[in-house]
Amino acid sequence: MKPMLSPEMTVAEPVTGKAKIEVKDLNFYYGDSKALKNITLALPERSVTAFIGPSGCGKSTLLRVLNRIYELYPKQRAEGQVLLDGENILDRSQDLNLLRTKIGMVFQKPTPFPMSIYENIAFGIRLYEKLPKSEIDGRVEQALRRAALWGEVKDKLDASGLSLSGGQQQRLCIARTVAVQPEVILLDEPASALDPLSTAKIEELIDELQAEYTIVIVTHNMQQAARVSSQTAFMYLGELVEFDRTEKIFTSPREKRTQDYITGRFG
Amino acid sequence: MMEHTVASFDEDLNQVGGLIRDMGGLAGTMVADATRALTHSDNALAQRVVSDDAVMDARQRELDTRAIALIAKRQPMAHDLRAVVGAIRVAGDLERIGDLAKNIAKRVGAVGESAAPRELSHSIEAMADLVLEQIAAVTEEHDGPTLARLRDDDERIDEKYTSVFRELLTYMMEDPRNITPCTHLLFCAKNLERIGDHVTNIAENAYYVLTGEQLPPNRPKVDETAMSATAG
Repeated sequence: MKPMLSPEMTVAEPVTGKAKIEVKDLNFYYGDSKALKNITLALPERSVTAFIGPSGCGKSTLLRVLNRIYELYPKQRAEGQVLLDGENILDRSQDLNLLRTKIGMVFQKPTPFPMSIYENIAFGIRLYEKLPKSEIDGRVEQALRRAALWGEVKDKLDASGLSLSGGQQQRLCIARTVAVQPEVILLDEPASALDPLSTAKIEELIDELQAEYTIVIVTHNMQQAARVSSQTAFMYLGELVEFDRTEKIFTSPREKRTQDYITGRFG
Repeated sequence: MMEHTVASFDEDLNQVGGLIRDMGGLAGTMVADATRALTHSDNALAQRVVSDDAVMDARQRELDTRAIALIAKRQPMAHDLRAVVGAIRVAGDLERIGDLAKNIAKRVGAVGESAAPRELSHSIEAMADLVLEQIAAVTEEHDGPTLARLRDDDERIDEKYTSVFRELLTYMMEDPRNITPCTHLLFCAKNLERIGDHVTNIAENAYYVLTGEQLPPNRPKVDETAMSATAG
């Protein structure tokens, strides 16, 4: 006998799943000005989390804290904890090179190195691992396949990375990131400089990559956040206003400020 | 609610809201006119209800077109998205209310000046009054508790329907000549009861648009006519 369908609804689940990154009481300063205020949130493993909010809300700053890239600049400091698998990456003893192999980052503008497509990928692998050429060839192909670029470049691996279109360059950067086998991928406005078709390819790629990686994306495009993420954090003036399942944020957010922002009433 | 940064977005939403208010007003008028035509054997008024239904259908088509264009152009989110999807669904219910009112109007001729007991018109009028009260409330009320109560009030209409049903059975058993007009009246009462169900749907939709939450599904439903039919 077929089981009876339950009349109870099953859509209202909170954000769940094992946390890959836990941010606890995080404060961030640019000199004297406080850019992040007591941020606490947990990013689930192997899933996409989007940070949204108006310019200057701190979303990119928060992303930059997650791999400590801010340390490249003077007078920037973070207080609090960011736990990657339970280990505080803000600790002074943290090896930054090792951290950045675990947490890769892709920027708004494609940043291919001025070298061949092949070398763009192989360069990063050689930095961390000593492998025979045949294995590096395999890893380059695998990375380009994961970034959905292999078919388009397999016959011109020696061509310059700069000869590719903007969308291809961005996928090359994603390939370069996945080539060193990270655990987390940070995407800072990865499609904002791309045409709709290239954007769709990047979004499809994000969807595929989440099976293996924990992904965090900062985007100004709310429809994009709605399309690609499983949970969304809305930030405003350095505060985390609301963090919830993406469906919840975009259909019935709890906070008025979230509602006003995502419906286009300010920001 | 605060205005959108893009003012034409507000205009688009206001147009959809305006159409829903027009359709709500028209639905109330059609139900009132159809009931009056029935109880006063007013064929001219019945004819007007029939032609009003064409207006209702046109309004619904216009609303669908505008709402779909709004979704395509503006990609509404959160409350705006709920409001647009809610409007499409509410328009469907209002259009059905129009159809049911038209169906009542079309029976006016068949019931005619026949010997059908005049007292019955009081029961049907009382039922219609309840329905009209609900339609007016659902198109005007915009707070959660009232909308939730409105849905539960549908029970009163169901009870009224049960009593009209029993009354009609009695008349039909008394005199077989009553069977034709009473059957038509029974359909009219059933139509009013179904209009009440559509009002319930509208209240549920309005509650969701307003709060983002669904009303809990357990609503008491009284239908004792099945028992009366077998008992009769």
